[in-house]
Amino acid sequence: MATHALQVSDAEYQEVRSHRLLGFLFFLISDSILFCSFIFSYLYDRSASPMWPPAGVERPGLYLAAVNSIVLFGSGVTMHLAMEAWRHANRTRFTQYIIATIVLGIGFLSGQAYEYTHLHDTWWGSVFGASFFTLTGMHGFHVFIGVCFLITVLLQARNGVYDQNRYFGLTAATLYWHFVDVIWVALFFLFYVY
Amino acid sequence: MSSAISELQQEASHAHIHPPPQGFIAKYVISFDHKVIAVQYFITAGLFFVLAGLLAELLRAQLTQPHNTLLSAQTFDEAYSIHGTAMVWLVIIPVLTGGFGNLAMPLMIGARDVAFPWLNMFSFWLFPPAGILVFLSFLYGAPRAGWTEYPPVSMETTGTALWCAGVFLIGVSSTITGINFMVTIIKMRAPGMTWTRMPLFVWATLVTAFLSAIATANLSAALAGLFNQKVFGVPFYDPAHGGSAVLWQHVFWFYSHPAVYIMILPAFGIISEILPTFVRRPIFGYKAIAYSSVAIGLVSFMVWAHHMFTSGLAQWVQLPFMILTMAVAIPTGIKIFSWVATLWRGKIRLSTPLLFTLGFLACFTFGGVTGVMLASVPADIHEHATYFVVAHLHYVLFGGSVFGIFAGLYYWWPKMTGRLLDERLGKWHFWTMFLAFNATFLPMHWLGLLGMQRRVSYYDSQFHSSDLLSFVAGTNLFVSISAFVLGASMLIFAYNALRSAKAGKVAGPNPWGARTLEWMTSSPPPYYNFAEIPIVLSGPYDYGKPLPYANISQDLATEPVA
Ligand code: HEM
Ligand SMILES: [Cu+2]
Repeated sequence: MATHALQVSDAEYQEVRSHRLLGFLFFLISDSILFCSFIFSYLYDRSASPMWPPAGVERPGLYLAAVNSIVLFGSGVTMHLAMEAWRHANRTRFTQYIIATIVLGIGFLSGQAYEYTHLHDTWWGSVFGASFFTLTGMHGFHVFIGVCFLITVLLQARNGVYDQNRYFGLTAATLYWHFVDVIWVALFFLFYVY
Repeated sequence: MSSAISELQQEASHAHIHPPPQGFIAKYVISFDHKVIAVQYFITAGLFFVLAGLLAELLRAQLTQPHNTLLSAQTFDEAYSIHGTAMVWLVIIPVLTGGFGNLAMPLMIGARDVAFPWLNMFSFWLFPPAGILVFLSFLYGAPRAGWTEYPPVSMETTGTALWCAGVFLIGVSSTITGINFMVTIIKMRAPGMTWTRMPLFVWATLVTAFLSAIATANLSAALAGLFNQKVFGVPFYDPAHGGSAVLWQHVFWFYSHPAVYIMILPAFGIISEILPTFVRRPIFGYKAIAYSSVAIGLVSFMVWAHHMFTSGLAQWVQLPFMILTMAVAIPTGIKIFSWVATLWRGKIRLSTPLLFTLGFLACFTFGGVTGVMLASVPADIHEHATYFVVAHLHYVLFGGSVFGIFAGLYYWWPKMTGRLLDERLGKWHFWTMFLAFNATFLPMHWLGLLGMQRRVSYYDSQFHSSDLLSFVAGTNLFVSISAFVLGASMLIFAYNALRSAKAGKVAGPNPWGARTLEWMTSSPPPYYNFAEIPIVLSGPYDYGKPLPYANISQDLATEPVA
């Protein structure tokens, strides 16, 4: 589909690009509402509970999550740098930064997997655990999709699918990655700080 | 003027004509053509309409006697749950958005297709599996808590998991279609079609698409929570483990109240097209109708708790919800005034599409009034969970949405198939359906006020005086017989539709003498819709003035009056 984009006129490309960009933004809005809905559920259950976290449930450790957050925000920075490198036509830098972003993303997921396996068994049966696993799990799934997205973008860039002025896939991946970062800020605050 | 046209001309020349697809599969199965996809939606939803309708007849058969043994209590519960689920998610929403939205909207804005034809195809193909999952739940014990599936009752059945999966898929489909339609309408209108030159059906589709894209994510979340609780025991809605059953109601209605507007706004749009065409005069209050749709769309996010007045909300919460709900009647009333004012002193041609439109106006207005009654907290505490609510929701959903759907089918059938439906059969269909509909649902209002509970299979023990019980039983028998007639009236339409394929009059491009763009091309339109992208010079409803389009081939740009 993207190779096909190279055969069309500039005007037509710009039009298609603007459709895709708008569609992608609507998708992100819809996706963030999915998160908001679960966050509302969490806060609702939480406000109805006499103590929080419920009796017998320990909060997850702040330390690991903080390190993991730094990893994820770091990946946001490398993503930004990758985009900048592309804009300045520096393909080597671009490749390096994208790979760095992918590695950091995988690092975040590994941290999350470690955290999951070291949590208390009592978690599953409680509504605190339910919200925690659902929201962070959904977020982790988004990171996973983001990693796949970035690998695709990297391969497509190497195969010459994009050119200097036509790189919508890369733009979308960047938007998506930053979106996933922002969601994490909210989740981190809700589960580890608040 | 001419320089303005030449500028628009340049804009119009961008859009290329792609070669049409070859082969059966590419043409009719995995089709990217919005017109074919629309027909796929109609056919699939039509099948589900028959199934869900048969379930309804089964329910009415059970209720012919106060203590009938036709269905077990359990089967009865399963039947109404799947009836409601199917009618809402497998019939009305897909027909009004995927069906009419796909059929008419791209043509009306002068586009070659929607913005993302591949996604459009994908979105359709989520629909049949969604429906199959919902109906498969019967094999495992279908859910028994109604289309709203409140826990804990919804947790008692295995089929709930399949039900969640099915409704989730149709929700995803609806979200994708919403995003696709929004981008299409925002970005792909023909040159010169400013916002206030858009046909009113397109306005309605825009607001509907917004609601589908934004609100449906809440449904997905609610269903994911319910599915997880059922399958993995994650206790979101389970008070025994710190969850809350009322939470489900909040999240569900935060989607489902906006969803009732997904189910009615396109019907508003359809009748706003039909009225000026058959009255031969401009629609009254174009802007009022367009902007009130937007207002309804926004307010619909702020009224959900009117479904929860008996769920133990604090009084200070109930009051604003009551007032806001009643306020919805204002933009709705503005529309009804505008439609009636359009009829006023018009040259009325009483063809079938207009008959169904008038039926819509009568029934929907009635349902709106009972809605305001229900919105009043003290009244609702008495009426909630009785047949009064059943009557209200059928006046708006059947009297409103389904009458609107048939109005649209009679109106756009010639565009879709190239042939007209028979008028005489159409009138028979209308009158049997209109009379049987009112005979079925009007008496439910007093059944409800007398205290007959909804969603129960026996009603003998609810009424302690035997006089009252025999009155209620008689009324129920009458309602059931009317419901069978109502079901039978659909056969007239089925016959008419099948017959039109062979015996229908060939329609020609513009059989009704309408002025919107979908009539400015052949019937059915070619794959690419318009040989050249049309140019729009003013609004669509100025009956009596020359047509406001350039770039339309001359033999099509006529306005014959049938
Ligand atoms: C003036 C406009 C309306 C008002 C004020 C209104 C008000 C209400 C209220 C207060 C209820 C809750 C009754 C109860 O459960 O005790 C209700 C139920 C319902 N309404 Fe409306 N309504 C309006 C229009 C509509 C429209 C346009 C639709 C759909 C096209 C609709 C569909 C429904 C449905 C499906 C239910 C029943 C839900 C269930 O199964 O519990 N309403 N309405
Ligand atoms: Cu409502």
